[in-house]
Amino acid sequence: MTAPATVGAFGALREQLTDAAAAFADGPDALADILTGLVDDVDRALGERLEIFPVCHHSPASALAMVRRLRQKQPRVIYLELCEDLQPVLTELRNCRLPVAVQAFASQLDGFPAAWAPLSVIAPVTEASAEYQAIAYALETPGVELVLVDRSTDHVFQWSPRDETPAADESAPEPTGDDSEGQAALHGDAVGVEIGALRPGFAELEAYLLHHGKVRHWSEWWDSYVERPLATADHDTYRQVMVLIGSLFRRLRPSASQRNDRDEDRERYMWTRIRQHLAATGADPEECLYICGAFHAASRVEQFGLDSSAPDFDITPRTATAWQYGLIPSSHSAIEAQFGLAPGSVSIAAAAWSKAVSASGLKPYRLSGQRGSTIRRGRIKAATGAAGPVADRLSGFLATAPTPDGLDEAELRGWCVDIVRLARRNGYLASTADAIAVFETSILLAGLRNRARPTPYDFADAAVTCIEKDVVPGRRDVRRLCEILLGGDRVGQVGYDALPPLARDVLHRLQPLGLDLEKRTVQRALLDLQSNPELAGCSDLLWMLRHLLPPGAVRPIMGERRLGHRSLQESWDLALGRHQRALIELGYEGVTIEQVLEQRLRRAAHGPDATAVSALTAVEDAITLLNSPRLVDELGSRAVELLASERTVDDAPEVLRRIRRLLAHHQATASRLPAWCGAFVTTGYAHYCTLLPTAVVDEDTGVRQVGAMLGFLFSMESLALSLGCDRSQLELALAQSHPQAPPKVALLWAAHHQLGMLPLAELRTRCRELLTNPLVVPAFPQYLSGFVHALEPVPGLAPFVVETMSTAFAQLPDPVLLPWLPTLVTTLREHGPELVPLLVREAGRTFPGTLAALDSWVPPWSGTAPAGAPAVPDRPVGQVHALLADHREPVDAVAALLGVEGGWQHGDDRATATSIAALVHAHPDTAEAIATLLGLPPDAGAGAAS
Amino acid sequence: MSDMLRAPAEVKYADELDYLESVDTGVKPYSWRLSPRMVRLFVLGSERADGLDRDIPQKWFGDRSFVERSIVTLASDRGLLLIGDPGTGKSWLAELLAAAICRNSTLVVQGTAGTTEDHIKYSWNVSMVIAKGQSRESMIPSPIMTAMEQGVLGRFEELTRSTSDVQDALISILSEKYVSIPELNDDNIVFAKPGFSIIATANSRDRGVNDLSSALKRRFNFVRIPVVTNKRSEAEIVRFRTEELLRRHHVELDVPPTLLDILLQSFADLRAAAASATSDDEKLESALSTAEQIGVLEDAILHSQFFGDRTLRAGTLAGSLVGSLARRSPEDLAILNKYLHAVVEPRAKQDGGEWNEFLDGGRETIAALS
Repeated sequence: MTAPATVGAFGALREQLTDAAAAFADGPDALADILTGLVDDVDRALGERLEIFPVCHHSPASALAMVRRLRQKQPRVIYLELCEDLQPVLTELRNCRLPVAVQAFASQLDGFPAAWAPLSVIAPVTEASAEYQAIAYALETPGVELVLVDRSTDHVFQWSPRDETPAADESAPEPTGDDSEGQAALHGDAVGVEIGALRPGFAELEAYLLHHGKVRHWSEWWDSYVERPLATADHDTYRQVMVLIGSLFRRLRPSASQRNDRDEDRERYMWTRIRQHLAATGADPEECLYICGAFHAASRVEQFGLDSSAPDFDITPRTATAWQYGLIPSSHSAIEAQFGLAPGSVSIAAAAWSKAVSASGLKPYRLSGQRGSTIRRGRIKAATGAAGPVADRLSGFLATAPTPDGLDEAELRGWCVDIVRLARRNGYLASTADAIAVFETSILLAGLRNRARPTPYDFADAAVTCIEKDVVPGRRDVRRLCEILLGGDRVGQVGYDALPPLARDVLHRLQPLGLDLEKRTVQRALLDLQSNPELAGCSDLLWMLRHLLPPGAVRPIMGERRLGHRSLQESWDLALGRHQRALIELGYEGVTIEQVLEQRLRRAAHGPDATAVSALTAVEDAITLLNSPRLVDELGSRAVELLASERTVDDAPEVLRRIRRLLAHHQATASRLPAWCGAFVTTGYAHYCTLLPTAVVDEDTGVRQVGAMLGFLFSMESLALSLGCDRSQLELALAQSHPQAPPKVALLWAAHHQLGMLPLAELRTRCRELLTNPLVVPAFPQYLSGFVHALEPVPGLAPFVVETMSTAFAQLPDPVLLPWLPTLVTTLREHGPELVPLLVREAGRTFPGTLAALDSWVPPWSGTAPAGAPAVPDRPVGQVHALLADHREPVDAVAALLGVEGGWQHGDDRATATSIAALVHAHPDTAEAIATLLGLPPDAGAGAAS
Repeated sequence: MSDMLRAPAEVKYADELDYLESVDTGVKPYSWRLSPRMVRLFVLGSERADGLDRDIPQKWFGDRSFVERSIVTLASDRGLLLIGDPGTGKSWLAELLAAAICRNSTLVVQGTAGTTEDHIKYSWNVSMVIAKGQSRESMIPSPIMTAMEQGVLGRFEELTRSTSDVQDALISILSEKYVSIPELNDDNIVFAKPGFSIIATANSRDRGVNDLSSALKRRFNFVRIPVVTNKRSEAEIVRFRTEELLRRHHVELDVPPTLLDILLQSFADLRAAAASATSDDEKLESALSTAEQIGVLEDAILHSQFFGDRTLRAGTLAGSLVGSLARRSPEDLAILNKYLHAVVEPRAKQDGGEWNEFLDGGRETIAALS
């Protein structure tokens, strides 16, 4: 930087700064370089033929200066630092309520790493911003051209390092502030771009400025030291100060970072585009205005300026990624969170803007049709604001303290009264005395912080000091209440006309519900499909939306839709207004909701991580939501392919559950099974037969999975065999299976039993052996757990499982039994829906129903008299009965001896005969002895005993 | 330096206060000795930009806005209640403020379960009452009443430890700003002079023991002092306070920066563990405040000085840490044991150095205690 010391308008200032640098710096004049460099930058930017208008984002001062300049100069061409491909969407801003964000969205990537998908870039637009003023002026004034000159959204990602996921490139998106309202997440994970991002390049400078400015946050510093002093400044002062600040931050930043290169590339890009446009249209640079961040106004790239002789920047072509453009709702808190601004700062800026507008009497530009606005159509007048010779306004600005605009007592008083009222409404015990205290404390704090009047931040501090006590009584603390008071969060809305066709279609199709779905509140929709069958279309759409939108957007309260079931009455909580972004982003994927759903289902079945289960789920969704047999067939065939190519059986339980449900549905609704179902069953049969031998020995495969495989094989067997499968496959698979783990061994036994290869008696013997072998007893519970799992494939085994379990309870030693019980309970609970009712039913059949009966109960498997079962043939009963009836005395005596109570019953009913037969059968020796005594032939007693 | 074991701030920093008073051109509220900006400067230290001839060191470390809010509260009509976890520097801030504003930080009432209304208002010299009857002469004014008479700041430590009726005696003092003495026939009202206010401190862990009444809450501005979690400022606090304590004990011993790092890191780890604990049994009883850290370090230094080889070692530090933090057996010991196993051991393996010695020292102490 070797500009001659006293040349140009800024000569005096430059000299003064050089002297200061000489006085303060010890070493070689690095400081002098920086200080004079700042002035050089200002000189250069202001000397440029094309008028450069430096702005800062969300700065009311910038917006005011912009309005003044536009009204004065009436430029015919406006170059704006904003991604050039966003231009077509800007006209749609008139249909929205600000703040909204212009969005570029791409889900199908071509030329970017697939892991980055979906790509989303947003540029929020607020009313209190210079860029909105420029856009409104350009769009509302006939004959004015708006040209966006910044790199395209495609380049945003092209310029991102490939080895990392792209982060917001304009500033760090630190989610700060109170997210309780859920507004801060409005932008999703989009990358934010802003016009005029202006912040110190490295942390030390920012920390230094904050420390000496006696403020806590950058937004507060900006507000106190730049925003307020510049609010009433004239055009020249504004421009010079902004460029100076841009230059300061530009020069004091870490060098050689990748971001610097990108910033400079963007400047080259913008100047190249401007020159191309000027050359193409032949516009007069005097009638143009270039609006960019103050940072870029102080640019030193070789392409800077219309008179630069440097070659144009080589702009790389865009990738083949298909970008979709639209508008999504935004909010002050979302902007603050995305760009790391202080909570409430955008709201404060908005409040400052409206105050400044009314104080200055300026008429800001507004897009016609903007909600809540009056249309002001401007007319092109002769340009009166030709830039005159540059005069030094910087020296004066830097040397004098900003003139305070005085203490606005009425405003502060209003805030104090309002905060107390708001606090009271939120549970605080605040009173008028607090309002007075807050007022006093605000003024004292401002004085202590060297400010002429309290800023909103001082006021918030004072309110916290005076009103906040040891606990927060409600949902919001005083600081949050201050944010609400000082502007509050404002949430934008995208109007119907600016919505993508899909979103408009959805709103149109939901019209029969009679609800205003653009409202941000949750609304309840009641659908009585029986009396209003015309609402069936709405119901279908709602179920589809539920599938596609985030959980809170549409929520069924009553009614469900599953295979073969549709509710007659449904009630829904709809919050589509609140989830407008999600709906709009759906609109980028297709024109109708059906199309998007079909795409999503296809993607689920054809994606790289698709499994048979995901394909079957998609099939189910296609049946319940879309009712499209063609798609169902396609997805079903895909499920067959996926199943055949699967090498693990981890999903076997889920596959079994789903295919059973689908088979049942098709068998119930169609005359014949779809082809894919048959293919799935036969493929599954062969697939699981093949995998069974490895699955039973593989340690990673759980018993549940093996159980489900066997369940598939047994329950689908008849269908599979009818479709041409061979049972020998299964027998071979079982023969090849040699499990080691006890539960799997038990499963295999059950399977053998099912196939008739292992009779029940043999199975019982094996279990008994296990129980008698002290070395195996500790592992017995695991066998049992295998049997429990076997209930799925072999439901007929239930009595045996009950028997085995009861035996285990009876015989297992406590040290084995007690630790196992919790496992058993959790296992049963896990399989509760399917297996427990079976077991309970069986146990109910086996065990006596009353406590009294339990004493005399003998388990049916104990080998003695099975209770209630006629174990003696009926034939000899009559003979025995006659014999006993003829000799009552000995019978009574024997009965007394045996302790049998009760008298003789008359009649030859079957029950009596049976009980007598049972009695005789239980004591055959006695019966025979009596027969001998009575001189009856020996076969009479034997007959009775047999 | 005086021959007091612990000189109050106004004595200790008398030079600084004299100097600041001499250069103070700002407006002073009431009878304040310094303007609010100078009070802030005294507490938070001076910078080059302040343009002072001498350097004023920082005495309280924490967010600037807490100090500003406290000063402003004292300049207003309300009392100041500093609330926070034990060891966050509430009392120290109160003392500094009182010293800077009125050069008297000793008018202190200590709130305990045994504090009575007499301690806040006045009591009687019984023998003098018997001899001469009740008069202003035989009356013993409380520190608060003295502060009222002199127009200076009175301090009430641990406000929530005293019972509700005692607390409520403050209500009339804070709103009417006088105390009447019904026992006397004349001269029976003591009016507060301008400049009188009260700085109270309360321990947020004691919440619920004797909750403040709404009427009293209304008369205080609450300033919540959080536990310092910023490692850099915490290191500064620990260094500052330990140096002061060591000077008091005449101990010449260096604290190696690596050991200071180990101490800060271990407290940070334990705080993180406490924050993620789900029940009280899983967190240490200690609040893990900065004061606790200072205590641990001081303990270790004194131990090394008198029973060691006059060099601070990691093992001693670990022993002191375990000894200070293990208050409940076995809960606290189990937590510390877990910490040594799960955090220190891997770190010792990875970083080596003094973490190994720290680990051994900690284990030995745990073994000795359990």
